[in-house]
Amino acid sequence: MTEVAIQRDVLSDNDAAAAANRARFQAAGTYVLNLMSGPGAGKTTLLERTAEALRGKVRLGVIVGDIQTRRDADRIGRHGVPVHQVNTGGGCHLDARMLTAALDVMDPADFDVLIVENVGNLVCPAEFDLGETDKAMILSVTEGADKPAKYPLMFHESRLMILGKVDLLPYVDFDPDAAVADARALNPGLAVLRLSSTTGEGLDAWTRWLLQRRRQVRDGR
Amino acid sequence: MHEVAVAQRIVDALVETAGRHGGGFVRIARLDLGALTCVDPETLAFAFEVACRDTCAEGCRLEIARLPLVLRCRGCGDEGPRAGPVEPCPGCGAIGGDVLQGRELRLTTLDLDEPAQVEEVA
Repeated sequence: MTEVAIQRDVLSDNDAAAAANRARFQAAGTYVLNLMSGPGAGKTTLLERTAEALRGKVRLGVIVGDIQTRRDADRIGRHGVPVHQVNTGGGCHLDARMLTAALDVMDPADFDVLIVENVGNLVCPAEFDLGETDKAMILSVTEGADKPAKYPLMFHESRLMILGKVDLLPYVDFDPDAAVADARALNPGLAVLRLSSTTGEGLDAWTRWLLQRRRQVRDGR
Repeated sequence: MHEVAVAQRIVDALVETAGRHGGGFVRIARLDLGALTCVDPETLAFAFEVACRDTCAEGCRLEIARLPLVLRCRGCGDEGPRAGPVEPCPGCGAIGGDVLQGRELRLTTLDLDEPAQVEEVA
């Protein structure tokens, strides 16, 4: 028997594919946001609103990951933005190679802002670098304020946390201050926005954040 | 939840490494698994067993070293293991901290049968 030292990150092939994606986005000057959340937090609805709000302002494209169906892509596509659906065929997350394959259809050079809607899952997507510029997440108030402590990785990895469905705050037992405090204990630089796709509250702040990040990245800040 | 994908990547790395070292069977693979990683060790062990079938790692034992979460307090700089990422610092009580250890998902070493020995025994 021989012992062989290997010392290899298990996800190193994913990280290499992500680095190649990232270089491509930088060369094209495209801002890419990996949008993550648990299932049903409101990613697709937010992207429908976003498509309307940014119409004519930036060249927006959306890549949608789902285990099955084209339903989300069809919903977003009705709002006049190019959408590409990636089905993971049972996989609980997108990985960098799936995104690379999607770029054959969605050439980064054709977009100022590309949003990748990850598979609805509060756990696994955070583990896989896609090569995105930023990660953002939605925590909807119906999910409970304990989620940052229970599922820390996504909060740790994100640049922005959207507190979603805030129009429902009067009806649910959700302490936004506690949720934000726990999330910022994990990630002190985390930006937080309160948003409701139903009432439109916070939608302007969200699109401003998105456009500001795009400008900062484009200008190398 | 993505233990099957992780197990497949581990087996790919084992097969490739065994090939570079003469093509023996992999008997033991050792993995560092940080506490903040979204991988369940028992599910991973099961997925690994299945992923090894019909490869040079068939029957390979997976030894998982679970690495506790280690944080550096942002208040007082205390470094040490914590039960969770939003636990208070034992020194100053500040919540959370920078992750020093806990994100590992890393193959460290493996034990290979040397192919020459296998032939002699046969």
